Amino acid sequence: MRRRCCRPPSLLDARPPQPGDLSETNGFDSAAFMAGAAPTPLPGAPPPQPGDLSETDGFDSAAFMAGAVSPPLPGAPPPQPGDLSETGGFASTAFMAGAVSLPPSPGPTPAGQITAAPEPGATSLALVMAGYLGMQQPGPDGGQRPPLALAGPRGTPRPTPGSHSFTVMAGPVPAIHLPSPAPTLVETARSRPTPAWPGLLPGPHDHLPTVMAGPVPAIHAPSPAPAPIRKGRPLPARPAISWPGPASRSAAQPNLAGLAAPAHRAATPAAPRRSLALHLPWLAAERRRIAGPWASWEAERQQRRIVAVDAKAAAAGISPGQTLADAQAILPDLSVEPAEPLADLAWLRRLALWANTVTPLAAPNPPDGLLLDITGVPHLHGGEQALLNKLVQHLARLGLTVRAAIAGAPAAAAALARAAPGCIVPPGEEAAALTPLPLSALRLPHGTATALHRLGLRQVGDVLRQPRGPLARRFGAALTLALDAATGQHPTPIQPLRPPAAFLASREFLEPLITREALDAVLEVLLGQLCRQLAEAGKGARRLLLLGFRVDGTLQALHIGTGLPARDPRHFARLFQPRMEKLEPGFGFERLTLEARFVEDHAAPQNSLPSQGGPSAEARQEALAALLDRLSQRLPVWRLEPRESHIPERAVLKRDPFAPIAGAAWSGPPRPLRLLRRPLALQVTAPLPDEPPIQLRHGSRVWRVQRAEGPERIEPEWWRPGPHPPFRDYYRVELTSGARLWVCRSGAVVPGETARWWLHGRFE
Amino acid sequence: MTPAPEDTLPDRPPLDRPAVLAALQARIRRLERGGATAGEVAPIPLCEAIDRHLPGGGLARAGVHEVMAADPGAAAGFCAMALARTEGTVLWIAAEPDAWPPGLSRFGLGAANLVLVQARRPADALWAMEEALRCPGVAGALLVQAEIDMTAARRLQLAAEAGGALGLLLRPDAAAEAGSPADTLRPRGSGQAASVALTRWRVGALAGSGGGRHALGDPRWQLELLRCRGGQPREWQATWQPAAGELRVEGAEEAEAESRPARRRVPR
Repeated sequence: MRRRCCRPPSLLDARPPQPGDLSETNGFDSAAFMAGAAPTPLPGAPPPQPGDLSETDGFDSAAFMAGAVSPPLPGAPPPQPGDLSETGGFASTAFMAGAVSLPPSPGPTPAGQITAAPEPGATSLALVMAGYLGMQQPGPDGGQRPPLALAGPRGTPRPTPGSHSFTVMAGPVPAIHLPSPAPTLVETARSRPTPAWPGLLPGPHDHLPTVMAGPVPAIHAPSPAPAPIRKGRPLPARPAISWPGPASRSAAQPNLAGLAAPAHRAATPAAPRRSLALHLPWLAAERRRIAGPWASWEAERQQRRIVAVDAKAAAAGISPGQTLADAQAILPDLSVEPAEPLADLAWLRRLALWANTVTPLAAPNPPDGLLLDITGVPHLHGGEQALLNKLVQHLARLGLTVRAAIAGAPAAAAALARAAPGCIVPPGEEAAALTPLPLSALRLPHGTATALHRLGLRQVGDVLRQPRGPLARRFGAALTLALDAATGQHPTPIQPLRPPAAFLASREFLEPLITREALDAVLEVLLGQLCRQLAEAGKGARRLLLLGFRVDGTLQALHIGTGLPARDPRHFARLFQPRMEKLEPGFGFERLTLEARFVEDHAAPQNSLPSQGGPSAEARQEALAALLDRLSQRLPVWRLEPRESHIPERAVLKRDPFAPIAGAAWSGPPRPLRLLRRPLALQVTAPLPDEPPIQLRHGSRVWRVQRAEGPERIEPEWWRPGPHPPFRDYYRVELTSGARLWVCRSGAVVPGETARWWLHGRFE
Repeated sequence: MTPAPEDTLPDRPPLDRPAVLAALQARIRRLERGGATAGEVAPIPLCEAIDRHLPGGGLARAGVHEVMAADPGAAAGFCAMALARTEGTVLWIAAEPDAWPPGLSRFGLGAANLVLVQARRPADALWAMEEALRCPGVAGALLVQAEIDMTAARRLQLAAEAGGALGLLLRPDAAAEAGSPADTLRPRGSGQAASVALTRWRVGALAGSGGGRHALGDPRWQLELLRCRGGQPREWQATWQPAAGELRVEGAEEAEAESRPARRRVPR
């Protein structure tokens, strides 16, 4: 009797359980298949639904944007003497530096207003960042100049009780100048001793410039700084916000290395980007196709507030932000509905997808706008004005009121679309165009807008004229960022809904396509174009996406995948063919686009000479890959990879058909040719409990065993986690008919209990 | 007016019948492959005695062969042997593909060459088989299916001629229905319908070559060639020798001596 304690066939090669080893009892477990499969999207991928349009394809659009579409960033302006209190803006500039990666910009340091501080070693992330911002230049000896000290707080505080306050204190403690409603402490702040500051605080803040020489800021609100400091108590060793100390500088350095990188991109001149913004003021009402005064509300702290209105309600004086009761008092026959922000957003996304007819870089701008990057596009439509008119007309045909504007920066275009629709601003004149607009065009946060309004700043130009430092310190980074984005100083890139495809072919039609024959014909043309592009680039596509833009503004998508990169139009056509019937033309497609979403390098196969007889090896390989693509589009297709395990269910692993299979031939005792996926329970007669069977019975059928070999004991794999089934004793038996079977008894024979026998496979 | 005898009997050389026959057969073979004679491929050798009997000297590629499984294990072994000798990628198409590489490796069919396709519906299975046979990258394909009608078989044959692959149809044998336990898993009903396959085999199991009660020995098969295009039906009892990786026909020497004058065909 042969006994085999089951252990890995070769002890040296025994490997610990792998994460992919999922199938505990069933080698054909689909979970194991999926886990072990290469990321071929074919077998399990659900077909795209007509409404399922978010084809990000695994791209991180944000990462994509950061690498590819981000427009060149202009250099940061060096700090001017008039920039009061860069300290207050310090957090914001540091933030901006981290976010948009300002390049180092050399500029003269206002040396006349700085004094050396007695802490030369105090450097930190903030210090180094300030150096990048131009505030800290290397000294003449090549080393770093000691941190700059600040002269002390200045300004003319004027209490404005009840209002948000604004500080012009250019003192060395920026962190504690954050606005907070504590106006009663204003008077004590005046008595702050000036000269005691520089040495008290640790480094990072001391270097910041004390720039008091500029024009007097327009706003002189008192600084409601935290009480302990203003009252002359001992300063805390560290400000409330923990600045990175010297020890953390090394950790901060990699960030800085990253910051400097985009400087090259900023330096290279590029064509000015153009952005088109669409504003759909009544989208929520118009998408419901409601006539008559209408408003939608949402509950906000026990109050129902209007969030969207339609044109008639707006004409009657109802505006978002009112309470529902007020609105109904103004207009008793107002029909109201709860707001559906997600549905509105879904509409915006659909419109943004439709806008892919114009440009691949289209994004929704919630809650009621679209942003399109139209760089290089207008000439296809006869100029920017013609493009704008075309878009407005098309959306008007869909029953949507739309306002549009074109500018260099997306935020500027969005602001203009809201406040001055129809306006086309030449590159570089955004600031001038924005000047007369009301502040509401910038869509600032509610608190900020209110506070600015209260301070007498009604127009964008009013705010732009203010010194930036106090603005930033008072209102935080958001305001300066919004202003910079609007004026085009730091334009925020459009994050398109779908990353643009590298290879794309498209056709537009005067007459919408409806019939299958026409679609097939166009698909053939598109495939030819796309495959030529791929061939010229030496690439092959792994996934193709066919987009049908319908005349009613909706989008339909079909995608196919291949196991290996391919660029044979006939192959793609065969893969598309069964799916084409899923397209619903409706009133017809006005544009079809074919995109290659996943592209890999693909060398051209060598054609064989006629004398060699038959296709070459590469051509055979390609034909096989095409066949497996077609088969796995319809049926489950897999390969089996041998695995080091004696347990039959675990001896092979399902892999996807394109996976390379490496596995030595089986070297153990003979194994059956066919393994039953579900073993068949048998009743077995054996002369002694441990002896081979002499008779097998299944139901009413009986077979006599002529010869038997075994047993071969297979123990459970104790090194794997989980409950283990009992061991099995396998016998190879030959029936009187000559058939050879693989039967096993599971578990030890217990007197008084019938042993459980199974038929598990058959030999040749 | 009587015609002269020399006019009615033209002076011709005597007809060389074997040569004419061989030329006609070669022409038919060319026609069967749609004129694609350039890449004439060698047939698949089974064993010497059987190859001598088969036209072309082996199991012809670019054609469909039917294997009736009197014993599912033995028939699968026969198919695995033929597929392994195609030396290329092989597709195993079945409603429940139960081929198992640890056992197939004894026939030389490696896991890297085996692709399994699960087709639960017969129409899908036939489509997959036709696509596979038409593909030049596939060396052989096996379809496990009980019922194949005449049209489908003809399509498969044409596809194999176009693609050049070896097609095997593994069908359960109605005659041996009550044979063995695994038949309970098998779909019922399988007939001996007319077929356009090049050959039809019935493969059954015989008692093995083992000596005692506890030694199985090498498996022995009953190979019946039921139909053969361009050949005669025949029956062999063969032993599969896994160690040598070859099939040995019992009594091959006598059969050879007896059949050589009659069966020997003119080589093409």
